[in-house]
Amino acid sequence: MENYLIAMVTFAGIYGIMALGLNVIWGMAGMVNLGLVGFFAFGAYTTTLLTKDFGVPIGLGIAAAFVTTAIAGVVVALVTGRMRGDYLAIVTLGFSETVRITASNEIWLTNGTDGISGIPGPWRGEVSPETFNLIYLGIVAGFVLVVFLIMQRVRYAPLGRVLRGIRDDDQVVAVAGKNVIAIKAKAFALGAGVLGMAGAIYAHYTSYIAPDGFVPLITIYIVLSLTAGGTGSNLGAIVGAFLVVFFMESTRFLTAVVPGLEAVQQAALREFLIGASLIVILHLRPTGLFPERITRHEAPEPPASGAALKERSQP
Amino acid sequence: MSKTKFPLSRRGAIKLAGAVAVASALPRPLRAAEPIRLGALNPLTGAGGSYGPSMRKAIERTIANVNAAGGVLGRQIELFGEDTQTNPDSAVRAVRKLIDADKVVAVMGTWASSVTTAVAPLCWESKTFLTCVSGSDTITLLPHQGYLVRTQPNSTLQMTELGEYVGSDLGKKRMFILGAQTPFAKTNEERLTEVLPQHGSELIGALVYDKDKTSFRSEVDIAMRAKPDIIFLNGYTPDVTVVMKDLFKAGYEGTRIGPAYSVNNKLLKSLPNDVTQDCYTYAPSPAVDSNAYKRLAEFLNVDDVDPYSSQTNDHAALVILSIARAGEASGTAIRENVRRISQGDGIEVDNVLDGLKHLAAGKEINYTGASGPCDFTDIGDIEDTQFRYEIVDGGKFKTLKIG
Repeated sequence: MENYLIAMVTFAGIYGIMALGLNVIWGMAGMVNLGLVGFFAFGAYTTTLLTKDFGVPIGLGIAAAFVTTAIAGVVVALVTGRMRGDYLAIVTLGFSETVRITASNEIWLTNGTDGISGIPGPWRGEVSPETFNLIYLGIVAGFVLVVFLIMQRVRYAPLGRVLRGIRDDDQVVAVAGKNVIAIKAKAFALGAGVLGMAGAIYAHYTSYIAPDGFVPLITIYIVLSLTAGGTGSNLGAIVGAFLVVFFMESTRFLTAVVPGLEAVQQAALREFLIGASLIVILHLRPTGLFPERITRHEAPEPPASGAALKERSQP
Repeated sequence: MSKTKFPLSRRGAIKLAGAVAVASALPRPLRAAEPIRLGALNPLTGAGGSYGPSMRKAIERTIANVNAAGGVLGRQIELFGEDTQTNPDSAVRAVRKLIDADKVVAVMGTWASSVTTAVAPLCWESKTFLTCVSGSDTITLLPHQGYLVRTQPNSTLQMTELGEYVGSDLGKKRMFILGAQTPFAKTNEERLTEVLPQHGSELIGALVYDKDKTSFRSEVDIAMRAKPDIIFLNGYTPDVTVVMKDLFKAGYEGTRIGPAYSVNNKLLKSLPNDVTQDCYTYAPSPAVDSNAYKRLAEFLNVDDVDPYSSQTNDHAALVILSIARAGEASGTAIRENVRRISQGDGIEVDNVLDGLKHLAAGKEINYTGASGPCDFTDIGDIEDTQFRYEIVDGGKFKTLKIG
């Protein structure tokens, strides 16, 4: 049981890193990204090809996954620079499907739908599966912490402020003299890089990747995590990811104790419960469990002459 | 907007922690007589959802029969079931639960090749036995140390049989493959290129499409330009349905053949009879004349048991008999004994209860089940199986040949 719990916390941590990556793009900058599983896959394949075929050390593979996926993010951001809302959502969804279908068909590179197995993991095979599990939990926890701290830094830095500005009204930001497209590209690069890194961490953990594993279902999990946790909030992203994994896993045990259900009914009930729990959360807390908190400074008392100025400027 | 308060109070946090603790303590199963723990991991939802439920029922039936007859080694069998959602990521989490939380000694009935490949390392690392119905050639080539067997013939064996049937029985000269991108697409094409010329036929072209498309008109045009006299529909039910429709609209009058798992009753129901008329199907056949098969069909209340449910029926039997012969319930014990009860010179048995009786009497057995002989090679492939060829006539299947 302990081993199972450790594995699930590890999964939740990886989802949490993904949610943090999505949070920069969607939560902070307001760009709807439904293609995040594409970046996740990109990172996973990058490190897999490097570490398995070229013997690159795992740490370097993960770093390379970050860099290459960030570059892919910049490309996507520049292509979609002028799109917003639904249009951006569709294009990014298209991006992730393109990655998946490319991975399915470029067999020489990705081994096609068979996927790639035997991806190395740190000390895998040298230690017992339980110890490996524990080591990996530590690694993932480290990554979650580091990414969280960086994202908090971004949030409170001038960049984070401008990103929120773009989210609320990009024309105002442009009028204020900011290069909106460049800043969007920056946010996309950072978020995509983190998503790619999560993919790399995932690949080294499970030791097997295949196009089938990079379906939009994963995107939905992460979007749900962020929505439930609180869009825009880094703490919310991590808590949301843990919550989604908790729902997915605890429902296995709950449905097993309901008497008189056939297996397929249990499976359906489980999916129903996961959906219902999230609806309940969002109904009770529409902005998520940990909504974004923005410190608003009170406007200073206008000086007497200022009041006169204000009056005059009114039409 | 006012400043928001930190939303989780200390009391709330304690409540939440309490709820987590209770929820995690709930599932711990009762450990009265230390039952033997087996796991079933089937595609109850997702692309495999039309097979998983009946695959699971077949496993449950075998186990219920054994439990009713007193169990094995004097212990009852407890089955833990999970859903793969036909997705490797979900399946990995599900198998973690089966192995680590439920402590099962065997995991039975994974369907999609990608799912099997994803869960296999977790099984062999923890010395848990895995039985699957996936057909991709690469699965048994994994370094599984013997902790994996499959009852589905691999792609190479299937294509060898298909090539012979198309060339020699149907006498077709020019085959074209219209298929989805799957782990077996490439193997199938390569194997047919080799096999067809041995039977006076040839593969004149192959086209791999994306199975999620809603129209295959351009693919159909490309295929027809090659002037084939037989088109091999190498996909799954949803895409093959559309391809058949588009072939009909395009006026294709040559022969079509497809695997029975995609050209199935569901497909026949969703298309007019004109469209499906005279389409051939092939399938690794369950042993339809065997008593094991007939009993399973009666239990599932169907005329035709699909090959996968026949196979999972046998998975449960093989695992239980291996445990009985070993006198011990562990993945390693199953690995050591699965070939000793499924092949060789022992007494032929076609059901698990007879097998248990003979084993209790100290005799050796050779299990042959609803899916066929269940004889395995060293790497866990099935050695031989029957194939069944059918033709669609008036919206119904008519068997042409089993052999």
